[in-house]
Amino acid sequence: MERRDFIRIMAIASFFSPRMVGNLGAKELPVVGVATGTDYGKITRNAISAVGGMKRFVKPGDVVVVKPNMGWDRTPEQAANTNPQVVRAVVEEALAAGARKVKVFDRTCNDERRCYANSGIEAALKGLHNVEVRFIENERFKKVSLNGEALKEWELYGEVLSANVFINVPVAKHHKLTGLTMGLKNIMGVMGGDRGKLHKQIGPALADVNAVLKSHLTVIDATRILTDHGPQGGDPADVKIMNTVIASTDIVAADAYATTLFGLKPADIPVTVAAAKRGIGEMDLKKVRVIKV
Amino acid sequence: MKRSPARISQLLFLLLFLGLFVTTEYRGKDEIFAAVNSFFRADPLVLATYLLAAKSFTLLLLPALLVLVLTLIFGRFFCGWICPLGTILDLATGRIVKGKAPPWLVGKLKYLILATLIGSAPAGLNLAGIFDPLALLLRALTFFVHPLVGDAARTGWVGLYRVMGDSRDYLAPGYALLHDYLLPFRESSYPLAVTSALLLLTVIFMERYGKRAWCRYLCPLGTLLGLASRFSPVRRSPGRLCGDCGECGNVCPTLENGKMPESEECLRCFACQRGCGRSRVRFWFTNPLRFREFPFLPARRVLLGGIAGGLLFARGLRWKSAEARERLLRPPGVRDEADFLAKCVRCGECMKVCLRSALYPALFQAGIEGLYTPLLVPRLGYCEYHCTLCGQVCPTGAIPNLLKGEKEREVVGKAVFDKNHCLPYARKSNCIVCEEHCPVPQKAIRSRVVESMDLSGKKVSLMEPYVVEELCNGCGICEHVCPLEGKSGIEVFGVKDKSPIAVAVAAKPAAKVKSVDDDPYR
Repeated sequence: MERRDFIRIMAIASFFSPRMVGNLGAKELPVVGVATGTDYGKITRNAISAVGGMKRFVKPGDVVVVKPNMGWDRTPEQAANTNPQVVRAVVEEALAAGARKVKVFDRTCNDERRCYANSGIEAALKGLHNVEVRFIENERFKKVSLNGEALKEWELYGEVLSANVFINVPVAKHHKLTGLTMGLKNIMGVMGGDRGKLHKQIGPALADVNAVLKSHLTVIDATRILTDHGPQGGDPADVKIMNTVIASTDIVAADAYATTLFGLKPADIPVTVAAAKRGIGEMDLKKVRVIKV
Repeated sequence: MKRSPARISQLLFLLLFLGLFVTTEYRGKDEIFAAVNSFFRADPLVLATYLLAAKSFTLLLLPALLVLVLTLIFGRFFCGWICPLGTILDLATGRIVKGKAPPWLVGKLKYLILATLIGSAPAGLNLAGIFDPLALLLRALTFFVHPLVGDAARTGWVGLYRVMGDSRDYLAPGYALLHDYLLPFRESSYPLAVTSALLLLTVIFMERYGKRAWCRYLCPLGTLLGLASRFSPVRRSPGRLCGDCGECGNVCPTLENGKMPESEECLRCFACQRGCGRSRVRFWFTNPLRFREFPFLPARRVLLGGIAGGLLFARGLRWKSAEARERLLRPPGVRDEADFLAKCVRCGECMKVCLRSALYPALFQAGIEGLYTPLLVPRLGYCEYHCTLCGQVCPTGAIPNLLKGEKEREVVGKAVFDKNHCLPYARKSNCIVCEEHCPVPQKAIRSRVVESMDLSGKKVSLMEPYVVEELCNGCGICEHVCPLEGKSGIEVFGVKDKSPIAVAVAAKPAAKVKSVDDDPYR
């Protein structure tokens, strides 16, 4: 090796030294992309572009899991499940970025067949190549050591664990126990076991899981939000049209921003508070760069 | 050998029966366009007991009336051309060694059974389904065969995962095809599964007492059709085996002691006509009065005995009013227990189709007279709010076929909290999984925030759930999802007043985040 080459390599390598990266991180605030409009596919794409575009997360050949909320036998207008147009746009973006396979699933509360069908998500993804919309199969759950505050270990879905990229696509809605449910709580859809047992200490429990299972990108559907009787809703009077999609690599920041759409403060939501305290992300919106498009 | 038209028809109907059986399942559409109930709607035994028990007619059973009229003209063709159980017997009989039938089996027993079934109907008890051949077959398939096949397939599939891991995905399309079109979606196990299978096996086993022994000696539907067949003018001639040939005796499925069967037992399969080398046999219209081998009705003693027995049965079995059994939860839309028992034929279709496998055959929960009738068991499965499938497949309308909006309001029972179990009350910890799952948009389960003390004396803020009775339809999802092990902290109990819950009024002017203080039930 020539001396000149050696110096060049050393110079480049120095950029990747931990100190350099740390300095970069300190300068850059977490970014939340907020897009508004009535073309839900378009605003989803805009929100993702605002945080750097899908190519930043998905590399050619990646297996991508897109996890919407489709837990309830409710129609898209009832705002209990993620808007199918938003889900489709995220999936299409992942495919366009070169994903080898995109897997979409949720562990539902009502009958899975009815949830997949009536959420409109199954139909919205029909015909897309390299997209799998399959029901949860219990044998795929794997016990994962969390060593958390509330949970020592829990079963997580193998498809998520083995994927290269995990994109969390919740709907923002009211939730009687936790105030609101967004990205942090949407993670419950990839958890096995008796999830009802988590309710005793839901904030710390969800922080435990989110600390281990990172959402590389969180895209919150707030095209319409459910303001009461959540998480299931059903009454059109509880639905408010917001025409908004929020994207961020910081799940806590995304949740924190979505909380404001309900006229609430991030500190009102214990799940957000617990996650921020755990260092999973930033809930103080003053320390977040919001890019509106 | 070329197959006879009767055999071809038999096989087609058997295939149709099995095909419809498989379509009796939710496959992504709210409506099932064809289900196996078509067979029951064409079952004259179901018609007879329905008419007598419910004392009304339903258009659902029009095909059965048609079959009865056709039987009066052409004889017992149903058994030889359509009945899927008869076809199974015909297919199995060649492998079963024949012996002599015990004397008690031959003769009057079948009339006694039929008379008892029919005799108990006017007293409001519809027992047709207990021994109806279609119901026997369907129950064995629903409760035993299908779950067993499904379970075997699932076990194999899961086993493959243990061996192959994620590379099993290459085989997934094949399994999906099976699972989507043939296997049951959920492999639930049923009580009475073995009993149902044994009953069917017994029927097949009876073939050792002669070809179609079940059909000739016991089957109540066959007996009823046989009685109607006595009036049929379409008869075989010659009326007995010819002395110089007797060839047709070898092909007749119901030949008895070397004698040609009477019109009552003749299945009109025309095997003898096809088998006759001398072209002597023909079936044609004859004056039935010329063939009065026996009266149009069986012996008075048998008839009266059966009917009296039936009445006694119907009254005597009811030692306790059904409503007194607090966990007697019927499928949605069933408002009156007596009316239900009069109409339900216990075919098991509602249990087959139930989306969440919430319906199970009753052993004795509904009294002995309720054997095989459907019960909702919320701990095992709940009634899906928007689903209307059980009403769609019920062949007699015992479970009414309701629109989505109507069915959602029908009351199965009412949920009640058990504060000695429910977590916020008993353990002082937050939960409200039940409230989350309650599907009624205005929430039949609500909660209020109460400042309380936990078990260690620390101050806690608790959400205490309660039931809004006027809104509860008893779907049972709360009991189903209650995270407590074993006994649930909330349970659904039967109620007498099953008037539907009021239409949900969307009266709120605008959506807003409500606090518990706005709650009128607080």
